Amino acid sequence: MRGAWAVARLDLAVWRRSPWAVLAAIVPALGMFVLVKVLTLSVTVQPVALVIDDPGPEAQVLSRLIEDDIESYQLFVTNAKHAQQLLDRQRVGAVIVIPKGFDDAVARGHAVVDYTLNNIDIDFSDDIRRSIDRSVAEFDAPQLGASVEGRAGGHGLVVPNPYRIDIAEHDLRKTDVPFETYQVLPVLLLLVLSTGMLGAALLGSRDVERGTIVFLRQTPLRRSAFVAGRLLGALLAAGSIVVPSVAYLTYKRVVHPPHGHWPPFLAVLLATAVFAAALGVLLGAALRRSTTVALAGVTLASYLFFLGGGFTTIAFLPSWLQALSRLVPTRYGIDGMRQSLFYPDLIGVPGDLIALVGFALVALAASAVLLGRSVR
Amino acid sequence: MAATEGLRALGAAARAELEQFNRSRVLVGLVFVEAITFIVLVSLFGLTGSRAPTALIDLDGGPLARSFVQHLEAAHDSFSLRPMTAARAKKELANGSVVASITIPHDFDTAITHGRTVLLPVTLDNLNADMSEDIRGALPSAIVGFGQEHHWPGIRLAASQRDLIGHDTGYIPYLVVSALALTAFVVAGILGAVAITREFEARTLTQWRLAPVHPGWLVAGKLLAATLVAAVAVGAAVLLVTVGYGVEPVHPAAALGVLAVCVPMFACVGACAGALLRRTLPVAGLFFGLTLPFYIDSGAVEPLRFDGDKIWTLGHTSPVYQAIGLIEWAFHGLRVTPESVAQNFAALGAWALASVVVGTTVLRTRVARR
Repeated sequence: MRGAWAVARLDLAVWRRSPWAVLAAIVPALGMFVLVKVLTLSVTVQPVALVIDDPGPEAQVLSRLIEDDIESYQLFVTNAKHAQQLLDRQRVGAVIVIPKGFDDAVARGHAVVDYTLNNIDIDFSDDIRRSIDRSVAEFDAPQLGASVEGRAGGHGLVVPNPYRIDIAEHDLRKTDVPFETYQVLPVLLLLVLSTGMLGAALLGSRDVERGTIVFLRQTPLRRSAFVAGRLLGALLAAGSIVVPSVAYLTYKRVVHPPHGHWPPFLAVLLATAVFAAALGVLLGAALRRSTTVALAGVTLASYLFFLGGGFTTIAFLPSWLQALSRLVPTRYGIDGMRQSLFYPDLIGVPGDLIALVGFALVALAASAVLLGRSVR
Repeated sequence: MAATEGLRALGAAARAELEQFNRSRVLVGLVFVEAITFIVLVSLFGLTGSRAPTALIDLDGGPLARSFVQHLEAAHDSFSLRPMTAARAKKELANGSVVASITIPHDFDTAITHGRTVLLPVTLDNLNADMSEDIRGALPSAIVGFGQEHHWPGIRLAASQRDLIGHDTGYIPYLVVSALALTAFVVAGILGAVAITREFEARTLTQWRLAPVHPGWLVAGKLLAATLVAAVAVGAAVLLVTVGYGVEPVHPAAALGVLAVCVPMFACVGACAGALLRRTLPVAGLFFGLTLPFYIDSGAVEPLRFDGDKIWTLGHTSPVYQAIGLIEWAFHGLRVTPESVAQNFAALGAWALASVVVGTTVLRTRVARR
């Protein structure tokens, strides 16, 4: 035990004195964090110009509907000439025109709102098309979505509208989690992954590159103590970065689990860190050169991150990829973290933890064997 | 005479560097993996941009119900409908296999035929606001389409759309093409950086002072080798995009030209980073870490101008911005930057020149110091 602790302390000291290794481990997660921040700004509202060529009251109703939809549009109310300039300069992605004679057309029941769309890719274009359809629907059915579903087979309140269909939305959660909060969690997982994995891997490769492995072979340490010490050292190294990060996110209320969810959340983090450290030990023992270890570590971390649902939603993926993701340990880490933080219950978390611990044990066993051989 | 000597030194440095790469096959192999990785990963991201997996519980099955289902399917790539029972839908919602369920009640056709409004229960796993808003926005699209198809009385307004471009570009084809610029950045950047950091780590930089030519020739030779290897890796990525994803460039010569400019230019940026860092270890993390913000902040997801003045201005701090502008034009014929093709080419050239000047200056300073 003392031997293992000595190795762990030594590894932690080496890690603290290796700023480049620390940098290599945190930069990918930092980059991902910046990406989430920027993406938060770009996935929400779309820039659209609105030209109102009819002064009538119906035109005002429609323009008010569009102006009030601040969740969809970043609106520039302007004239036709300026709107065209904005479209040409890509300052807006679409120009909506409420044409002259709009009110008369509404009175006849055949009004049209025109829009010109810069359909550069379907993601961007479809967002605008959906938003305009919603505005069109609200014009003739201002109460769309106001109906209430009856409970236990009883009759609810249905507000009639000319489209003859209304929506009774039932949300599974009390509030929508903001996109930024939703995505910061996988970034935290990426941090755990990259610090745990690269920390352990670089400590291993450093032993080989600097020749200190020779001294380790001659120390009166049992192999098991060395392996345990290396893993503990890597965990402490990861903890030295992850713990302050979690504390900061908790202070900012990004990490704010429901009552009683802290233990499972921390357990998921710890199991992921153990898995990452064990994988890092494997990488370090197998590749032996810090350059290749760093590149392999970053690549592996990114696959684990993406295939585990870090920046994707597994349900959206093709079925063969969904099946493949079941073999990706980080999927259970991300699922477990999301469940323990965003959901009121802990359904699925025990299963996620069992899977994570299972993967961690396999990685631990493999790393113990490989590392043990290298110091024999 | 000096130029001849310089060229000979350049050739020798290039050959020596290629020999080094030949000895570091694992590293080169990993760089190739990295080139493919980026393309694959962004397409995974692209898959989540549309067609939310949605359970459809059609308790009616009549012609009007089927018509409404068709409008749901046509609602701007919003839903991937999966018909199932209510019990199954509940289970799949609970385990996250679908993100919403839409129930068409059993009296749907009858009620609508009699002019009544039907209530459509929609259960939404409102896990994140972005996805939830897409679904909330898509349902009115389907409802509007349904109402207009059947000309129900009381519907007074319709939208008339005019697209600027004759065809819609799929999200994944758009993303993988921008990813090519990022791939060039990561691959050429890392190889360019490693070519220089190796000299620091092996302490061979001091020997440069003994060279009978200007160190710039040696740097150029090393970067030539790095560029050649990077070009092969980027070529593999291009092959994946064109053959694997079926994206054929509208302007093939321009596409090759853009990449032919980007690869050596990013190798120069890498060399500059290598000269500043002097260590190989943080290079991979740095380039990969930088790539992700560059990816978004260079117009890789949508034209950056749409994201407002601040982000657009910030995007100009990265050469990837111009590279994506050019490569989207070359592959899809799209204009994704307000700047013209010629302006983007000029800016990219300026980036290349600046990188060479900074990189060489830093190296000359380092060599002189030693």
